[in-house]
Amino acid sequence: MAEAVVHAHDEQPGFFTRWFCSTNHKDIGILYILTAGLLGFISVAFTMYMRLELMEPGVQYMTMEDGSPNGHMWNVMVTGHGLLMMFFVVIPALFGGFGNYFMPLHIGAPDMAFPRLNNLSYWMFVAGSALLCVSLVTPGGNGQLGSGVGWVLYAPLSTNEAGMSTDFAIFGVHLSGASSILGAINIITTFLNMRAPGMTLMRVPLFAWSIFITAFMILLALPVLAGAITMLLTDRNFGTTFFDPSGGGDPVLYQHILWFFGHPEVYILIVPAFGIISHVISTFSKKPIFGYSGMVFAMVGIAALGFVVWAHHMYTVGMSKNAQAYFMLATMVIAVPTGIKIFSWIATMWGGSIDFKVPMLWAFGFLFLFTVGGVTGVVLSQAGIDRAYHDTYYVVAHFHYVMSLGAVFGIFCGIYYWIGKMSGRQYPEFWGKVHFWTMFIGANITFFPQHFLGRQGMPRRYIDYPEAFALWNYVSSIGAFITMGSFLLFLWIMWYTVTRGQKITDPNYWDDPAGTLEWTLPNPPPAHTFETLPKREDWDKTPAH
Amino acid sequence: MAVQDNVVGSVAPTAPFPGGQDWRARQDRPVWEATLWPNRSLNATGQRQVMLLIAVGLSIPLLPALGTPVFWGLLPFTLGAWGAMWLGFRRSNRALTLRETVTLWRDEMRVERHEPSGAVLRWRADPWHVRVQVHDCARVESYLTLKGAGREIELGAFLCPSERVSLAAELEGALTHAVTGRPPLSP
Repeated sequence: MAEAVVHAHDEQPGFFTRWFCSTNHKDIGILYILTAGLLGFISVAFTMYMRLELMEPGVQYMTMEDGSPNGHMWNVMVTGHGLLMMFFVVIPALFGGFGNYFMPLHIGAPDMAFPRLNNLSYWMFVAGSALLCVSLVTPGGNGQLGSGVGWVLYAPLSTNEAGMSTDFAIFGVHLSGASSILGAINIITTFLNMRAPGMTLMRVPLFAWSIFITAFMILLALPVLAGAITMLLTDRNFGTTFFDPSGGGDPVLYQHILWFFGHPEVYILIVPAFGIISHVISTFSKKPIFGYSGMVFAMVGIAALGFVVWAHHMYTVGMSKNAQAYFMLATMVIAVPTGIKIFSWIATMWGGSIDFKVPMLWAFGFLFLFTVGGVTGVVLSQAGIDRAYHDTYYVVAHFHYVMSLGAVFGIFCGIYYWIGKMSGRQYPEFWGKVHFWTMFIGANITFFPQHFLGRQGMPRRYIDYPEAFALWNYVSSIGAFITMGSFLLFLWIMWYTVTRGQKITDPNYWDDPAGTLEWTLPNPPPAHTFETLPKREDWDKTPAH
Repeated sequence: MAVQDNVVGSVAPTAPFPGGQDWRARQDRPVWEATLWPNRSLNATGQRQVMLLIAVGLSIPLLPALGTPVFWGLLPFTLGAWGAMWLGFRRSNRALTLRETVTLWRDEMRVERHEPSGAVLRWRADPWHVRVQVHDCARVESYLTLKGAGREIELGAFLCPSERVSLAAELEGALTHAVTGRPPLSP
């Protein structure tokens, strides 16, 4: 029989045990956020180099020793930035970081269903990111280092790229994908099996819902990517011809498979941010979220529709008109659940006592900018218009508005909202606002002019451009430097917060009206939380949240 | 939650209980009995529906590739993901098979704990000497223990605090009834 432990106390693990062997969901969540931050810094540094190069027409910085343009290095930068942001920064920060830390707390679970698997997922992600970073300095195409095939790894470019670099990058994506799938299984099992008694599905907080839906999408989409890039590997190394027409293969089929994963990936990146934004808007409007069930079904709808619209990325490959018409209409339908979310957020704020604290500023910024990105998405969904905009800077502007200004704003929003809970110390409000406004202005100056460049016809993924595109490229680069400055300010704010920030003792320091369970815990929460099931009155504050 | 037992360990259900008597020999009707199990928020039907949904979702990218070599390239990964999810549910279900059975006669009280690993841990004591205690100084809120036969064991550590408090009250009443013959006081 289990002996009673009446005077139990928390054991304090040593530094190495806590941070290298941890099976605690909160510690693993923090590790994900820190690692994603480091990789994000590398990825943003690449973009600074690229924007510096694009600031003026002509090639000034990315040159060979003889002064001729080094297009391969440009391609490596583009590839590295894309792969890092898509697989190693946004998913780990939002899904791995906030998902790990707060989803079990929101549902009143003591930890994830499989804590050791959680640890394995994190270290596979680290191993994958190490492989990707190694690929940047491994012999690749054109007799140079690194792989310059783009994050989509399109065949035949990726199957013909020389050297080991592309193989390393593929292995890196493989490990990252396996890590995400294991994480998704853990999240799904935890969410479905370990909710507090009485917490039926329609009473689960929206952030936990968003993480669960993301996990479902990861489970359905990433195995397809794993299969596709494995076939790329065998095409590259074992003489198969899955995507080689000379052997009966089809490179367009690779694009179909890639985008079957790639479009849900967009929602994998953004749906967790939806969850964070819902909590922040509700908290700082001092009202429960408007239309809870509509918000849940909108996320489910966005996720489901995300799987049936992939070919809108490929209008120019030669699909039938009927297929194009279908993908066009299906894509536009996504605007409906997205609109439900946007209007529900606005309705939550309507009549509320809005407090523009830093997290709310980020949520507000997200709302405005994600709407801009969503609207240009509807423009691009038109097959006819896409003929003109395909592979232009209009597309670059569109997806950065959704992801750079959407998902990344969601990450910052979550950090400012929960940093007090995670660290026990609060950020400096003034500097948080400076960070927001510099980032908001910088990112808009960076990406809004890119719509103009796209409309002028400037193609993406080029190291150089004619004089006609000079003005808006110059403006865009200035915006990028402001954004980088803002990011450096953020790093200082985080350092200041965790070392000298004001200590906060009130568990519910934002006075959250929804009263999700993390606000019943001390700041920071103890290592072991909800080892005993939470009481219903701790989480059931409102009828629908 | 439960602390590993170092005293009794794994015992076969038919093995003689320490003291020489077969645990299952006693057939007379107890005066009170309760079975406790951890909360599980999704039932078996729900899990089957989730697995079906995942199977349908994973088959979508396979269907267009039917008859092509690419089908065979995708199949192991989609099957692997489905299988991993199934194993995840199975493992989680196993962890939730924990059961504690409390049985009370006039002259004996027994607690039998079925661990997810299959191990069965047993304790018994004379109801005259059993003390039911709810501790608020422990890490677990309203931590419920039974003291008797030289040991103090935990009970229902996986329940929520209010459930443990009401279980303790019910158990006290049942013990009173068992040892005095008086009906338990209504709560």
